[in-house]
Amino acid sequence: MILRTLAFLCLGGFLSIVPSLSYAGILEDKDCGSCHRLSVEDTKKKFSGPDLHFAGNKFQPKWLKQFLQNPGVIRPAGIITNPGFLQGPPENLPPHPSFLEKDARTLANSLTDLKISGQPLEPVIIEPLSKGQRAKIKYKFERTFSCISCHQSLNLAGKVRGGLSGPSLVNAGNRLQADWVANWLNTPEVYTAKSRMPRYKMDSATRTEFSQFLMTLKKEPASRR
Amino acid sequence: MKRNCKNLLARITTLAVLAWLTGCGQSHEKQAAAPLKPPIRQELEKARPQALQLKPVQVTENTRQTYQWYCAQCHGIEGKGNGINAKLLTVPPRNHTKAEYLETRTDEQLFGAIKFGGLSVGRAPCMPAWEHTLDEGTIHSLVQYIRELCQCEAL
Ligand code: HEC
Ligand code: HEC
Ligand code: HEC
Repeated sequence: MILRTLAFLCLGGFLSIVPSLSYAGILEDKDCGSCHRLSVEDTKKKFSGPDLHFAGNKFQPKWLKQFLQNPGVIRPAGIITNPGFLQGPPENLPPHPSFLEKDARTLANSLTDLKISGQPLEPVIIEPLSKGQRAKIKYKFERTFSCISCHQSLNLAGKVRGGLSGPSLVNAGNRLQADWVANWLNTPEVYTAKSRMPRYKMDSATRTEFSQFLMTLKKEPASRR
Repeated sequence: MKRNCKNLLARITTLAVLAWLTGCGQSHEKQAAAPLKPPIRQELEKARPQALQLKPVQVTENTRQTYQWYCAQCHGIEGKGNGINAKLLTVPPRNHTKAEYLETRTDEQLFGAIKFGGLSVGRAPCMPAWEHTLDEGTIHSLVQYIRELCQCEAL
């Protein structure tokens, strides 16, 4: 009888611990939470890295795994909330922790589980863009909406150009989820308290166009030494 | 009488700025529903009478912070046109400390550039439109802040 109660208690205790650890497990072990926000509730601390509590909505799983094995530079100017942002040319960005294949895979899987729930994503259907369509959207990206002033992208010849204050978009096609891009353009406040990017009013067709356009950008950035 | 008026207006702007700050996360449903509308001349014309009405706007701590947060990306933290994006733009960001040029631009032109973007006032598209990010009170105070930076007035 006593044995059975004990077994029950143990099992109960075990079960109640497991769910709370399941996502945090390896991310906690590797101390990712010291620089990254990993849960919506985690609002108190100031983080030196970008928010990852919606990593599962934002990133392509394959890219996450690659990044963790061989992290490249995405924000050449640093993180927008850091006090030093814009104060001078950033030098000596510290290298990001990197991992062997097995750990990278487990970490990437845990990140993919981090999602903001109840967020209705407009599904974006990725169709190949004709040259004419691409040129039309590129015009909007560069002129109508000035996106290029703050974001690196690729010109038609595949050369990198554009500003540095926003994250580089040269590899957006491998890195970001198409639905998330459209959602970011529609409701950035879901993902960040205060962005440095202007808010835009655009219809869903335009958001889809930008998302499709960004999905055509596929160039691996330089890796951190 | 005139003084009172000024005070009242200053207070209204402060309220507007506050409303903008707190309203940041809330007023978006309306925005999201509205379709894309590129800046057009008529809108700029419409904005003008208001620009005159709200003239005596004060530069507050909020104005400076707004400038640092958004504008400094291109115009630099001192407004000298040397922000982190500056060298990579096809047209360099305007140096907001240069009186010679800014004297030739009216407050309404500066207001229009900030609200509807560079293209709307015959300037380069690298200057984005802030109409959906900043309210009019804040934009007026940014115009005044730029007048402080250049220590100049429209001729
Ligand atoms: C010392 C602080 C620090 C630690 C610890 C850290 N990171 Fe990062 N991480 C950063 C910074 C800073 C960036 C931004 C790099 C860039 O944009 O170029 C980043 C970027 C990332 C990105 C890309 C996110 C994006 O929006 O581009 C991922 C994914 C990531 N980190 C995962 C992890 C994981 C998983 C761990 C734990 C194993 C971890 N990080 C530990 C600082 C850290
Ligand atoms: C004034 C500079 C500026 C302009 C103009 C701008 N952005 Fe951004 N953008 C940023 C910054 C800074 C961020 C980083 C997030 C933040 O500010 O909260 C960002 C984030 C993004 C992201 C998410 C990238 C990531 O990896 O986290 C996408 C996608 C994006 N912008 C697309 C666009 C598009 C499309 C346009 C034009 C319609 C545009 N941006 C115009 C500054 C800008
Ligand atoms: C993405 C880069 C960028 C950002 C961010 C930016 N600007 Fe500009 N701005 C420019 C460029 C480039 C020009 C020059 C346009 C030209 O001369 O054709 C300019 C020009 C201007 C002008 C002068 C227009 C004229 O009549 O010549 C004003 C005023 C101005 N910006 C105010 C602001 C304010 C206020 C902010 C912040 C809310 C801001 N800018 C943010 C790039 C930027």
